[in-house]
Amino acid sequence: MTQRTNVPNETFMQKAIRLWKSKPIFSTACVLVLMVILQTLALGFEFETFGEWFSFWGRNWINILRNNANVGIVALGMTFVIISGGIDLAVGSTLVAVGAVLMVFVNQYPTGLLTAAGITGVPAFAIGILACMLMGCALGGISGFLVSKQKLPAFIATLGMMKICRSVTQQLMQTQGVKVPPAFLSISNFKIGGQVILPIIYWLIIAVILHIVSKKTPFGRQVFAIGSNERTARLSGINVEKVKWLVYVLSGFLVSIAAIIQVARIGSMDYANAGSGYEMDAIAAVVVGGTSMSGGRGSILGTVLGMLIIAVMNNLLNLMGVPPFLREAFKGFIVVAAVLLQKKESDS
Amino acid sequence: MNLSMKGIVKSFGANDVLKSVDFNLNEGEICALLGENGAGKSTLMNILGGVLSADKGTIELDGKPVSFANPAQSLSAGIAFIHQELNLINDLPVYENMFIGREIKKRSGFLDHKAMYQKTKELFDSMGLEIDPGTMVSSLDASFKQIVEISRALMMNASIIIMDEPTTSLTDPEIERVFDMLRMLKQQKVAVIFISHKLREVMEICDRYTVLRDGVLVADGYVKDTSIPEIARHMVGHEVKTGTSSREVHLGDEVLRLENLTQEPYFRNVSLKVHAGEVLGITGLLGDGRSELFRTVFGAEGKYQGKIYVNGKPVTMTSTQQALGLGIGYLPRNRKENGIIKDMDILENGSIVTMPKTTKFGLIRAGELLKQFRTQRKNLQIKMENETDSITSLSGGNQQKVVLAKWLSANPKLLILDNPTQGVDVGAKEEIYDIILRLADEGVAIVVLCSEAQEIIRLCDRALVMYHGTVRAEVSGESMNEHEMMRLATGG
Repeated sequence: MTQRTNVPNETFMQKAIRLWKSKPIFSTACVLVLMVILQTLALGFEFETFGEWFSFWGRNWINILRNNANVGIVALGMTFVIISGGIDLAVGSTLVAVGAVLMVFVNQYPTGLLTAAGITGVPAFAIGILACMLMGCALGGISGFLVSKQKLPAFIATLGMMKICRSVTQQLMQTQGVKVPPAFLSISNFKIGGQVILPIIYWLIIAVILHIVSKKTPFGRQVFAIGSNERTARLSGINVEKVKWLVYVLSGFLVSIAAIIQVARIGSMDYANAGSGYEMDAIAAVVVGGTSMSGGRGSILGTVLGMLIIAVMNNLLNLMGVPPFLREAFKGFIVVAAVLLQKKESDS
Repeated sequence: MNLSMKGIVKSFGANDVLKSVDFNLNEGEICALLGENGAGKSTLMNILGGVLSADKGTIELDGKPVSFANPAQSLSAGIAFIHQELNLINDLPVYENMFIGREIKKRSGFLDHKAMYQKTKELFDSMGLEIDPGTMVSSLDASFKQIVEISRALMMNASIIIMDEPTTSLTDPEIERVFDMLRMLKQQKVAVIFISHKLREVMEICDRYTVLRDGVLVADGYVKDTSIPEIARHMVGHEVKTGTSSREVHLGDEVLRLENLTQEPYFRNVSLKVHAGEVLGITGLLGDGRSELFRTVFGAEGKYQGKIYVNGKPVTMTSTQQALGLGIGYLPRNRKENGIIKDMDILENGSIVTMPKTTKFGLIRAGELLKQFRTQRKNLQIKMENETDSITSLSGGNQQKVVLAKWLSANPKLLILDNPTQGVDVGAKEEIYDIILRLADEGVAIVVLCSEAQEIIRLCDRALVMYHGTVRAEVSGESMNEHEMMRLATGG
C-alpha cells in the first residue's frame, strides 16, 4: 500500500519512530549522537576551565578523525562499489602496490627513479603522485574489467587482485627500509592552527565531492540503478559494463589518494602490513552507514557516519579501558547489529 | 467444503481496502474473483490464506467459524494458496517438491526417497497425469509446474485452492492443460477460487463469478447468465470499448528493416519492415522467439546474423545505448524484472533514460527532468501522489505508464512494446491502447509484441505471426482475426 509521507497529528515519538524506520540515515545519525554523548561522558569533566576541557575534547576528536581519514577515503570508494552490487576486497593490497609506485618515484635514496634522473623536489612529487594515481586507477580498472566484461563475481575477482597486488609488491620491493624526502611529508603533516588536520580536510572534501557525484550526476544515479536492477538498467540504455568498470576505477583511485596521504604522514610504507584489514574496515563502515550489501541502496553521508560510529566506539572503548584485543569484538558486534537493524527495516 | 466469508473489513492506515465484503464458495465449484488492480482481490484472498488478518468479519467453513493467524493454519484447514510466482524449487525433482517441509523420513532420519516417489506416482496416476515424479522441476514447462503445485495442494488434502492469475505466463495449449486439471478437481469436490484478468478464460472454466470494485462487492452470479461485456462493465464501472481500431494510417518513411535476421536457437531468417506512423503487431505463442528478436534489435542480446537497417542505414547493433541513440525505445515484458527499479522513486524511474542527456556542467538538471516527467504524467494520466514516492507504491497499470513515460520523454522514432498491458487492469489497458494509437498518429513507428489476439486486433494495422522462431505469415484486415492467427501460431 502507499507509504504516506505526511502524517498529520503525530506525536514527537511517532514521528521519530517513523523517521527511524523510513530513513536509514536518521537511525545511523542517532546511533552516532549516542556514541558521542557516551564518549564525551567518558572523557570526564575534571578540568579547571571550560577552555581546557574543550581543547582536550577537540584534540581527542582530531586524533579520531585523522586516524580514520585513510580508511574513510577508501570506504567512500567502497560505497560506490557496494551500491553497484559488487565488493572490492583488493583495496588494502592496492594501497601497498600504489604506495610502492609512489615510493619508487619520490624516495630520496638512490633507489628513487627520479632522484637518479636528477629530478627532485616538487616536480618529482608531482610525477610520483600522478604515477601513483594512474596505478590506482589501473589496478581498479583490472578488477573492474574482470567484473564487468568477464562477468566474474566481484568477490572472486577482487580476492584474486588482493592476493596478487600484495604478493607481487612484496617480492619486487623486498623489505627496503626506504624513506621519502622530508619535504614530501608536508602533504599530510603541514600544520593548520597548530594541528595536523590535512588528512581530515582531504577526507571531507572528497566526501562532499562524492556525495554530489552520487546524488547529482548521471554516473552516480546509474550506479544506484545498476545495483538495484541491472537488467532494467541495461534495457534503459545504460552502459552497464562501463559504469561498473568505472566504479572499480574510482575505488582504485581513492585508494591511491589514501596511499599518498599515508606515505606523507609516516614517511615510508610497510609493504607487509600497510593497508591490511582496510577492506574489512571499509566494508564495515559502509554497512554500518546503512548501505545495502545487495546493492541499490546507500549513501556517502551514511558511510562517513558509519566510519565515525566505529571510530568513536573504538575511542570510547579505549577511554573505558577495554583491552585492545576485545575491541575488534565490539566492531564485529556493531556491524552485525547494523545489518540486523536494516533487515528489520526492509521486512517491515 | 463450503466457505462463507461475511462482512470482511480491512484497512491499511487511512486506506480502506475492503469495506464489508461477503464471499461464498460451494463444494466443487470454480469461482472467478474479478476486479481491477487495487480492487481488493489480493487482500481478500490473503485474509483467507492467513497472510493478513481481517479488521472485522467472520470466516466460516461448513458453518463453523474459523480464524487463521498464519498461512500454515489456513493450509491445515484445507485452503491452499497458489501464488502467481510459483513456489517450487527448480533444482529438485518433482517428488521432493511435493514433500517440501513435510518430507517422509526413514527411521534412520534420512529421506525416504522411494516412499515419496511412490506416493507422488500414486497421486499422479489417480489423476491420469503422465509426469515422472523424478523429473527435475526446472525441465517442466510452466503449465506442468502449475499442475505440480496443484497436486501438492491436493496431497495436503486441500479442499479449497486459490489460484492467483494462473494463466498469465502460459501459452494456450498449456492453459488448456491446466483447465483440464481444474475440471478434474471439480469432480473430486475441490473448490477453486480463480483470480484472473482474462475474462474469456473465466467464461470458459468458471461456474460462478464475484466482482470487487474499490473494496466493495459489486456483482456476483453464475457465469452462464452473464457475458464478457457485462462483467467488464462491473469491473470498470463503465462501458469498455472492444474491437478493431478504425484509425487512418499515414505511412511515413521506413524506420526499421530487418533482413534475414538470425540468432540460433531463438529465431531465424526474419525479414520485416516498419514505417513511421504504423502499428505492427508480432504475435505467436510463448517461445516463438519474438521477444528475443526485438531484444536483439534493441542491442540487448549480442551477436546475430543478418542485417538491421534503421532509417534506411545499415547498423550493427551491439548495445542498448546505441539503440537509444538511434531513436529506438523498448518497453520490456515482465515489468518487475525488466521495467522498474524498485529502490528508486517514481521520478527517477520515469527519467532514467533522459537523465544522462539532461545535465549542466556534469550535474543533473533535476528541475528540467521534473518538468519533462510532469508533461508525461499529464499526457499518460498517471495516477500518483508525489514524484518522490516509491515506484512500488503505484498499481501495475500506473507503473507501466511510468516505464512508458521514460521512453516517451526520449522522443523515440521507433517504439517496441513487449506485452505492454501485462498485469494491467481493464481500465488502464484501454488508456494504454489510446496512448499507443495516439503515438502512432503522431508518426512514431510502433511494434507491439503480444500473444493476446484481442490486443493485436485492437491495436495493430497489420501483424506478423511467428512460430518457432520464424515468421509464418502476415495478417491484416479480414485475415487479422483470432482463428486465423491461432491457426498460424500453432503451426497449422
